[in-house]
Amino acid sequence: SAAMEEAEFDDILDDWFIEYKDLHVYQLEHPTQVIEWTSGRTVCVAGFSPSKNEILELRLPRKLFADENKGLCAERDFKVVHGGFTDRPVRCLRHVPGTRCAVTGDGLSSNLQVWDLGGDDSDVIRRTGSIEGRRRRTGVSEGGSSIAARPSSPPQILHGAQISDVQLTELSSGQTLYQLESDSADPLSSLHFLSDAVFLAGCSNGNIYVADTRTSAAPQLSPPPPPPVSSGESVLWWTDASAGPDPSGCRVVRLSSSGQALVSDLRNLGGAVSRAQLDVQTLRCGPDDVRVSWAPALDDCIAVSGFSGAVQIYDASVWTSELQEARPLFEHRGHAVSPEQSDDGVPPILVTSHVWHPERPRTLLSAASDGSVHVWDWVDQSAADKR
Amino acid sequence: MPEIKVTPLGAGQDVGRSCILVSIGGKNIMLDCGMHMGYNDDRRFPDFSYITQNGRLTDFLDCVIISHFHLDHCGALPYMSEMVGYDGPIYMTHPTKAICPILLEDFRKITVDKKGETNFFTSQMIKDCMKKVIPLNLHQTVQVDDELEIKAYYAGHVLGAAMVHIKVGSESVVYTGDYNMTPDRHLGAAWIDKCRPDILISESTYATTIRDSKRCRERDFLKKVHETIERGGKVLIPVFALGRAQELCILLETFWERMNLKAPIYFSTGLTEKANHYYKLFITWTNQKIRKTFVQRNMFEFKHIKAFDRSYADNPGPMVVFATPGMLHAGQSLQIFKKWAGNEKNMVIMPGYCVQGTIGHKILNGQRKLEMEGRATSVTLCCPLAPIKLQIVLDVKLQVEYMSFSAHADAKGIMQLIRMAEPRNMVLVHGEAVKMEFLKGKIEQEFNCYMPANGETITVTTNPSVPVDISLNLLKREMALGGPLPDPKKPRTMHGTLIMKENSLKLVSSEQALKELGLNEHQLRFTCRVQLQDPHSDPDTLHRIYTHLKSVLKGYTIQHLPDGTVMVESIVIKVSSSAEDTNTKVLLLSWSYQVKYFQCSYLTDGLYRD
Repeated sequence: SAAMEEAEFDDILDDWFIEYKDLHVYQLEHPTQVIEWTSGRTVCVAGFSPSKNEILELRLPRKLFADENKGLCAERDFKVVHGGFTDRPVRCLRHVPGTRCAVTGDGLSSNLQVWDLGGDDSDVIRRTGSIEGRRRRTGVSEGGSSIAARPSSPPQILHGAQISDVQLTELSSGQTLYQLESDSADPLSSLHFLSDAVFLAGCSNGNIYVADTRTSAAPQLSPPPPPPVSSGESVLWWTDASAGPDPSGCRVVRLSSSGQALVSDLRNLGGAVSRAQLDVQTLRCGPDDVRVSWAPALDDCIAVSGFSGAVQIYDASVWTSELQEARPLFEHRGHAVSPEQSDDGVPPILVTSHVWHPERPRTLLSAASDGSVHVWDWVDQSAADKR
Repeated sequence: MPEIKVTPLGAGQDVGRSCILVSIGGKNIMLDCGMHMGYNDDRRFPDFSYITQNGRLTDFLDCVIISHFHLDHCGALPYMSEMVGYDGPIYMTHPTKAICPILLEDFRKITVDKKGETNFFTSQMIKDCMKKVIPLNLHQTVQVDDELEIKAYYAGHVLGAAMVHIKVGSESVVYTGDYNMTPDRHLGAAWIDKCRPDILISESTYATTIRDSKRCRERDFLKKVHETIERGGKVLIPVFALGRAQELCILLETFWERMNLKAPIYFSTGLTEKANHYYKLFITWTNQKIRKTFVQRNMFEFKHIKAFDRSYADNPGPMVVFATPGMLHAGQSLQIFKKWAGNEKNMVIMPGYCVQGTIGHKILNGQRKLEMEGRATSVTLCCPLAPIKLQIVLDVKLQVEYMSFSAHADAKGIMQLIRMAEPRNMVLVHGEAVKMEFLKGKIEQEFNCYMPANGETITVTTNPSVPVDISLNLLKREMALGGPLPDPKKPRTMHGTLIMKENSLKLVSSEQALKELGLNEHQLRFTCRVQLQDPHSDPDTLHRIYTHLKSVLKGYTIQHLPDGTVMVESIVIKVSSSAEDTNTKVLLLSWSYQVKYFQCSYLTDGLYRD
């Protein structure tokens, strides 16, 4: 309708005009919960409906990367370079670095599927095998497996649904190279490699474990900070560890479903270097909804999504050890700004996933429950203002 | 088996030369006749040798249909019709007919005059070609001949673009050409009814694309214009007379209003006149919004957009100018470009593809120094009569932006269209089948999918249904036989005569057929001889046979008739002795054509058992 078009036009001017260096908006046929880099220019996305789903490898538009000659490049579309079918939901997808392999989990069991993403001669993503998880208790769904991978030869993946079943599996043989020694049934929210051998396991109850695949020693456990006095509900936690050449310099951020964020040093996970109360809507969210991530190429920046239809960027360098309210450095609200968003019983659009580009400092991709996928390069207004 | 054949013509797999041959119901149709813009030699034309090795195509084609005016769909048309030779009908929509010759002439001028090519069609050839064109209206069925009919559907994409439905008898094909499923600011979205064609033909290239939103493209455009204006620069937008220009004007006008901008926006007058002229002619082809605007006021009565005068190009300060032609190859846009190119504050925004040989093409390829022709302002003494051409080198310092606004369907759009039309089979052309297994698999979840390579023919068997009327008497008779009602999943045999009268078929009883045709019924009777050894007399043998049959063939009517025959149902048995030996009996069994086989063999088996 004419009114809607006018409203849309205002959006362009108000929100999107000044604040982005680049902005691309796409609509997938089906929403995705995963965005995983498979190269500097390609990502994988996949559906999560209960039955048949597609896994797609998309090549980002040339225009995004044509830095000097951007003006001469008209091409702004995604290209579907590879695709495959699966008859399960894809809740988790991990690319194995240095290979054309990906591993997926369906969130229902701890078994994983292994895929060949395809080469130049074919556009098919083919299932090549599966990996059995350790957990024998099927049907008890606390969310499915978490998966982590780092470059190794031969390729290996770290996976598990709860602490007691975390293992390192060699992809080609299926051989278990390492098992985490713990009886804890803490459900995992994420796994992160800090180096070739050291890894961090974040649990949804806030516990963090750090272990070394070279030893069979019990992992180091760090519990979360005590919950706020007022909350009666159980609090969920999500974790990210910053990458770096030296694992001891690594920092860990923990985010709770009540919006509390804590930054700790790896050497002292029990203490918090800084903390903040983030500006998020703390409506009930599931263990799978929220993503928190350190920017790989931008100091101290953290991206947060899943609480609403927005992706927020925070500058953690201004946080202190006192719990104070923090305002985001930038907020990408594009997913929630849609004509369909009204209060007529339609469920609100939520961001399902986001990722940072591994090298370009301010480039992110985000996906939402309505099937939209955005690629954006935001302008740091505060830096611009300081000039 | 009835079948439809589809062959995409031409070498190379890339998009850039649409030309598809379809054979349906004995008719041969050429869909589009495009030029490949990337080649400078004969490879830019489709390979017509597939149709015939020698000579004219008139005898081999029933018609040619052009989907829209883009050169990669109509660029080779004059070459095909005038240089290879075709005198049959060429169908296209009214806007396409009006705009095609302009683009073809422009293209010809650039290729021949600027690039000096020789094996190319002439202006006269373009005119002669267009004389063969029969224009189409939307949703109007056109009889090409007694059997072949075609109908055009709205495709969006550009003014006059159509999808075409081709029908021969009960077989049909839909060709999409280029189309768009999301409405533009000035064009609607493609639409087709649930026509369920045997084949839907579409381009494969777009099927693997997921398009960036229109809002983002517009945002980019506005941002670039705004940045240039803010720094005091001038923006040149070379456009063809129609389509995109209107879209961008509407966008800028709204933006200027919203941002309260003061810099002037100009539209060259030639453009205005042409655009108005075309829109008046083809108002039904634009979307509702434009139609309303046009009806209420002149298309170009914008508050912020004024008519351009040549002298304005020298005015200081920021401005935006829309000027023709679109590829900067001549005329006003080139004049303005030459004046503004040297200032890095300025910008040129190219809104579409530029043909090789044009300035537009060169600057889009990053060329920053252009050799241009200038005219001498004074005459030298050594050669006073010959015009002196100077080569000027133009330094391109202004910002060059390439923005693609052309509206194509993408992966999602294609599935939307397929589900609208519900074809029995899908054919995707101009793709590499080997590399498109996933796409094929995806479509094949719902429809059969073929991906022929260029020059490769795919054959699709069709299952045309032939409607037949059945006489009421026959129907009643069949119903009276009892048993279950006829069911498509459980066919049952019935007996009747099929009469073809004029163009209709009907099924009647044999008696009625004979009556209608004024024929007498002939009865066929078959006779077979069976030899038996039996010492009895002829009548006794006959009686024995009678008794025997009565005992073994229970449930059948067996009669011993006074005329010396035995009848089993309608089978007649006579006995006679052989002339040579009275112990050798010859049984004559005769039956009419209707009698079922098994009854006869049972009968003879029964006799032999004794």
